[in-house]
Amino acid sequence: MNSTNPNDRAEQAEIDASAKWPVLVFFGSAILWLLLGGALQLIASIQLHTPDFLAACPWTTHGRIAPAAQNALVYGWGMNAAFAFGLWLMARLSCTTLRHGGWLFIAAKFWNVGVTLGVLGILGGYSTSFELLEMPRFVTLILLAAYALIGVWGVTTFGIRNTENVYASQWYLFGAAFWFPWLYAIAQIMLFKAPVRGVLQPIVNAWFVHGLYGLWFIPMALAAAYYFLPKILGKPIANYYLAPLAFWWLVGTTAFAGGSRLIGAPVPIWISTLGGAANFLLVVPVVVIALNLFGTLSGRYGALGNSVTLRFILISMVGFVLASAMNFALSIRGFAQVVQFTLLTDLRDWLIFYACFSTAMFGAAYFILPRLTGKEWRSSALVKAHIGTAALGVLLLTVGLAYAGWQQGHLLNDAAVKFGDITQALTFWFTFRSVGLGLLLVGHIAFLINFVWIACPFSSKGTASVEFAPPPTLNFSKKSATEGHA
Amino acid sequence: MKNGLALFLGVFAILGLSWAGLLLGAHKQLGSLGQIKDPVDDTLYPQPISGLADQGRLVYQDLGCVSCHTQQVRHEGFGADIERKWGSRGSYARDYIREKTVFIGQSRLGPDLRNVGGRLGDAATPDDYSDWFYKLLYAPQSVAPGTNMPPHAFLFEVHATAGRQISYQALKLTGKSAPATGYEVVPTARARALVAYLQSLKDTYDYPTERSLNASAPAEHAEEGGHK
Repeated sequence: MNSTNPNDRAEQAEIDASAKWPVLVFFGSAILWLLLGGALQLIASIQLHTPDFLAACPWTTHGRIAPAAQNALVYGWGMNAAFAFGLWLMARLSCTTLRHGGWLFIAAKFWNVGVTLGVLGILGGYSTSFELLEMPRFVTLILLAAYALIGVWGVTTFGIRNTENVYASQWYLFGAAFWFPWLYAIAQIMLFKAPVRGVLQPIVNAWFVHGLYGLWFIPMALAAAYYFLPKILGKPIANYYLAPLAFWWLVGTTAFAGGSRLIGAPVPIWISTLGGAANFLLVVPVVVIALNLFGTLSGRYGALGNSVTLRFILISMVGFVLASAMNFALSIRGFAQVVQFTLLTDLRDWLIFYACFSTAMFGAAYFILPRLTGKEWRSSALVKAHIGTAALGVLLLTVGLAYAGWQQGHLLNDAAVKFGDITQALTFWFTFRSVGLGLLLVGHIAFLINFVWIACPFSSKGTASVEFAPPPTLNFSKKSATEGHA
Repeated sequence: MKNGLALFLGVFAILGLSWAGLLLGAHKQLGSLGQIKDPVDDTLYPQPISGLADQGRLVYQDLGCVSCHTQQVRHEGFGADIERKWGSRGSYARDYIREKTVFIGQSRLGPDLRNVGGRLGDAATPDDYSDWFYKLLYAPQSVAPGTNMPPHAFLFEVHATAGRQISYQALKLTGKSAPATGYEVVPTARARALVAYLQSLKDTYDYPTERSLNASAPAEHAEEGGHK
């Protein structure tokens, strides 16, 4: 599959062909995890308003189901989808084929075995109880080894690029590919291998969690937005010259913002102050990125009707702005004092992970898979069901949980209200959340069915009438690609 | 941006600086935090927890209690933790050095547990209080009406009494949660460890060194430590 001369610029079709099977395997496992994690998340949510639901067995008690769901979604769906998308995009932007697909199969297998063991470990009672690091320790090495095999091809592909310019999406992909293993390995060492004492543990944990969301999932979503907007609209990113500034500023401050999760916690005050200050500084890159992305889209909103990918990317961009605003708000002491430890704090991470990152991956899948398989999406009704439930679910859950968290925070801060009464007051919102998560799950099932149709090598060509705007062809004759236009 | 090396160095520097600045910085400040000897009662605080309680910590960890419960009392003037009687003072970093794993938590779907071992409530004696915990774990609604805490019946065994005298550990349950006649509900070793852990959770000692650091207004009499 490799071109005879590695220095030749590979054609898009050739790149897509080289990436086909690894991407399908990663996306396929990702979608299975999305459904499994979503189902576990729904069970955990139902248990909050119907406490007896599946409570008889220790494997399904709320305290185990909730982290198992979170880990299945983050490491199962999130990471697999990011691998699929990241490897493909890195190959495309580097104008080189994705090599050594066989290793990626092995890596995918190891990664998924690791996540399966991890989730089973949490359900079976081997949880470590550190947020997003709950998987038992023996899983760590499997995941790191699998990641090494995946990340190395991402970086290698970047290393042998046949382009002069390095495009914005590549900065984010390269950065994320580098940051994740370090964040994960350092957190593992400092919490389990040579554990730090006392409240240093929550500090390490907050640093890791914030890094995972801010330096892995958000960069993936931004890489998608920076790529698909100009690609589908056929115009360069607006004010692209500001993009490098936004990149360095965004990642540089995010790396220090982890302490903002510890406002009011028994840790030195400088940690949460530094985190808060970093979150305030994030306003600048968020505004610049919004100028880049919304500026590109402005005047072309009509194109949204023709492209599912574009619509998902738009949700993702809105999710990014909302999540950043939430990070900012939660760094304000007066606001944090009310909403800390409520549903609203959960909403911040959910906005990053679902509204910003996951929707970007959906958009990417709708763009990539027809090109890899040479087929169209079979059922446009299912595509519409997916994007409809995603948009509605994001809207409902954001508004609902924001209001519920605000109310919960005020009740918690009123010592005259008994704790049982707070729970009772929230019962409606717990039910509301179950409905919202159920709605999203329906959309994910629609996505899975369509995926099986398009990915199955034996199924006939799709019949759906989903329109994709023809991508502007890369001009291979000229060496210098225009900045901001991949 | 064209230079791959510059990109790599920048990306590396960002993570390196954040690790060194945040984690190593915090470690330098807190890593060697130790116990403090009270000059009056000649005892080191925080006191280590018992072996049974330490086993209970593992049960707390594996059941994922941290999903819904925090273990941190926010200081006066920041939230209503003190008013809710979740502690007589805000938590200090030093309070946590006795624990191998620290569960400060992120969510208050349930109440804070940092001082749950010190809240006797209606219970007259610590034994009554442990009985309250067993009931809470076995049938939460029986002692905490309105709660959505899931029952943890799998931490208990239901035996037929078969004419024998009822075990001294059997739960005194009434109403809906009571077992059928001729049966008794007895906590397992895991339940006993967990309750021992919960009862060990109390920060009663106020450190003279910390008081001024964390109080919202500077404490006036910060010379000596003492029990509150």
